[in-house]
Amino acid sequence: MLQFLIDVLMRACDLALVAIALSAVYSLMKFPNVALVQYATAGALLAILFQRSGVPVWLAIGCGVGLTGLIGVLLNEFIFSRMLKSGSATAMIGSLAVSMIISAVFLLAVGPTATRFALPISRPMRILGARITEWQLWSFGVVAGALLLFALLYFRTDLGRQMRATATNEVLADATGINTRRMKALIVLISGLLAALGGVAIALKGEISIQTGLDLLLPVFAAAILGGLGNPFGAVAGALVIAVAETIVTNTNFGPLLGRAVAFLPAAYATAGSFLLLVATLLWRPRGIFVSEVKRV
Amino acid sequence: MSDFLIHVTIMAGIFSLLALSLNLQVGFGGLMNFGQIALFGCGTYGAALAFEQDLGMLTGLFFGLVAAAVVGWVFASIGRNLQADYWGIVTLALAEVLRLIATNEDRITGGAQGISGIRPFFPGLESRPQQLAILALVLGCVLVAWLLCERLTGGRYGLGLKIMREEPQLSASLGYDILALKRQCMVLGGLIAAVSGFLFAHYVSFVGPDQLGTSETFLIWAMIVIGGLGNNAGAILGAFLLQFTFAFVPFVKDLTGLPTEFVAATRLVLIGGGLVAFILWRQAGLIPEKTGRARHV
Repeated sequence: MLQFLIDVLMRACDLALVAIALSAVYSLMKFPNVALVQYATAGALLAILFQRSGVPVWLAIGCGVGLTGLIGVLLNEFIFSRMLKSGSATAMIGSLAVSMIISAVFLLAVGPTATRFALPISRPMRILGARITEWQLWSFGVVAGALLLFALLYFRTDLGRQMRATATNEVLADATGINTRRMKALIVLISGLLAALGGVAIALKGEISIQTGLDLLLPVFAAAILGGLGNPFGAVAGALVIAVAETIVTNTNFGPLLGRAVAFLPAAYATAGSFLLLVATLLWRPRGIFVSEVKRV
Repeated sequence: MSDFLIHVTIMAGIFSLLALSLNLQVGFGGLMNFGQIALFGCGTYGAALAFEQDLGMLTGLFFGLVAAAVVGWVFASIGRNLQADYWGIVTLALAEVLRLIATNEDRITGGAQGISGIRPFFPGLESRPQQLAILALVLGCVLVAWLLCERLTGGRYGLGLKIMREEPQLSASLGYDILALKRQCMVLGGLIAAVSGFLFAHYVSFVGPDQLGTSETFLIWAMIVIGGLGNNAGAILGAFLLQFTFAFVPFVKDLTGLPTEFVAATRLVLIGGGLVAFILWRQAGLIPEKTGRARHV
């Protein structure tokens, strides 16, 4: 049972930061930026490259994440904000195109094989029969810390209030003297940092390859949409729901139902389970679970 | 004409059908379908399964057409009350679910190995006349599909699609049944894509889940964005342009002695870079959409 909870939490950690970044960017920019899943890979790969060149691991992570955030801001300034003028769907296709170019860069820079941080290997700890490694705990700590910091910023500071105001009604926020342009740049930076940290959290407990971003794409979107795109903390709940669904699909023994001793679904169906959950939710609530927006007539 | 050029022209013709189909949905109907490759997959697997059961080619074509029509109808029905970007994600997810099913149900679909040795077209002919006959067949299909699309989109039906794309609420108030229009558009697109899949399966003699990755969908997207959204000739031009460009990338690699990753990376950069460049600087594409009076009203 405890092992099940740990599996769920670890999977939710993989998804939560990128999903929250996607949702936060959507709340202000009004388009789903697909390239965010590539920022996750970029953050982790840059940090690994920094570590290889002799920088201590935590500093390397800081540099990698910071650099990725900067790249995110530049891409947004020169590409996405210009595409947005012709509609959110156009900007979404553009972000898909940008993420393809980013994968080409990865392919040439690090090649198709998976890489990992050079970390000391430790024996997994046993807590009430469940196995957990030290680096899994660190990864969880990174995700939880980042979520906490972002929540404090978003709900407890003046800056966060201005962001929320811009997200709710941009014209009104502009009229009350909020610099909405700066708010947008800021949220783009924050989402880039969060996504990169999400990638680092994945790399800390396993390995990362150029495929990681694409594998994240659909579960992260499912989590963000379940939480209601544009509602950042809904995305965390969405990530938990997706993680539970995936873990149940892969860990449940369907044998008794079929009159056999053991019958597990192929592991690849874990993702299929979460996509179908997404489709079912959208049929029932077309804009996600945690959205209370009144539709304009 | 050398065998290689004939081969590239046949592939370009097969992709032209896919581009025409996607252009009907995206360019005219404004339906952001990111699951186009699933409609193609219906055609390939229809042909492959009929071949395995010894049912003859036409039965395979029939299977593909029916499956693609059903999938198109389901896509459109799910999109009933979703915003364009949400619907795009849903189609992407559904296409991925279908691919996962094709990969894992190996008793029916042959799993990841796929189904090989499918009977080619015109088995009685020698290799050179056979290639030419296939070329004629594929180009004939492209011509028929092009005339069909021109006829459909140049008349009242095309006007209905365009007004649904531009002003959905206005079109509903004018008495257009939006859901019915979407369904027709997706089913028509599905039928053309299924023909393309049928031709592909019998031409390359192999059908597998790797051919149905999401990156193929983006390739078709790049074709229609570069060729010109909402223009049938543009879709065909885009397909030929990209296929011929890709065909010559390996020669450049051999001439310059670059590593193998170069080919894959160049493909990604060409698709992604082409999309970004055209969205930023020439949104109408190479052959812009014709606006104004319809010709066949």
